[in-house]
Amino acid sequence: MSGSAFEVLRVLIVEDNQHMRSLLRTLLNSIGIREIQEAGNGATALEMLREKPCDLVLSDLAMKPMDGIDFSREIRQSPRSANPFMPIIMITGHTEKQRVEMARDAGVTEFLAKPITPQSLFSRIAQIVEHPRPFVRCDTYFGPDRRRKTLDHYPGPWRRHDDLRDLHVP
Amino acid sequence: MTKETQHIPPDAYPQMVSKSDAVKISRVLRSSEAVERGARAIQEASEHLREGVRDYVRELEEAIGDHEITAGKAHEIRGFAETAGLRATGRIANGLCRYFEEMRKFGAQPDPAVITLHVSAIVRAANAEDEASRMSDVVAKELAALVAHKLAETKTGLPANSD
Repeated sequence: MSGSAFEVLRVLIVEDNQHMRSLLRTLLNSIGIREIQEAGNGATALEMLREKPCDLVLSDLAMKPMDGIDFSREIRQSPRSANPFMPIIMITGHTEKQRVEMARDAGVTEFLAKPITPQSLFSRIAQIVEHPRPFVRCDTYFGPDRRRKTLDHYPGPWRRHDDLRDLHVP
Repeated sequence: MTKETQHIPPDAYPQMVSKSDAVKISRVLRSSEAVERGARAIQEASEHLREGVRDYVRELEEAIGDHEITAGKAHEIRGFAETAGLRATGRIANGLCRYFEEMRKFGAQPDPAVITLHVSAIVRAANAEDEASRMSDVVAKELAALVAHKLAETKTGLPANSD
């Protein structure tokens, strides 16, 4: 396997379960990623990021004292954030729609449901690498564009001032 | 309503990797070789991971009586038991998590008997020599049926038909 491209990647794992951190590290190592940092919660992770930036974050959702939602919000919105565009993969066993929506609105890039498999983890990273998302900044949100696709016959309502800019009206 | 929305295309902010590295990385990540390599790595670490699951199972047993802690431990077990090769343990923990989540939605108190049954089944499944045994699968199915029955009871406020 060509490992050189992976060797330069720096990944931060934010997860309160030590065994889960170990599992993620094992999977990342298996594809040649060597630069891996680990944090047990969002607050520690933010401190680590200020000391040493990284290229990708894998974060759990449920942690204390700072959970994955607040952590993502800090990365996206804090003036002290090392990189507000950092890709964040949120790992979650929570199936509750409300929690997933909160994470999405905090600026999470991708979701990865537990139980984790090599295929599911690798395909999420590939997705980020292959199709980097445009970002949106408005009064109430900063993060990856939450609209995944454009519907050809979407009837509205249009919510952005430039939504109609690229429409070709006959 | 926002005054103005700013769109920032991917080319306008620093990317995780260069475009040439993205192609290489993507090719590897999408390959069956990478998936097999990852599966082998998990297999090699599986005993360590199982010990981790069993640590949580011990904590789960000790937590009975405290719904919040019990739900938290069940959540952790559900999260990685299956990846560690303890499939039935993960399934039963998933059933217990689902029960807690649904009861929370209803604003109802969980039935201690349902919790105890799940916890003892999780303990047995996690410590079984042959975890993939049919017994654990059968227990997981029966407990899932029990949860469905209890949820139906809670929803209607009436004892459900116990067929």
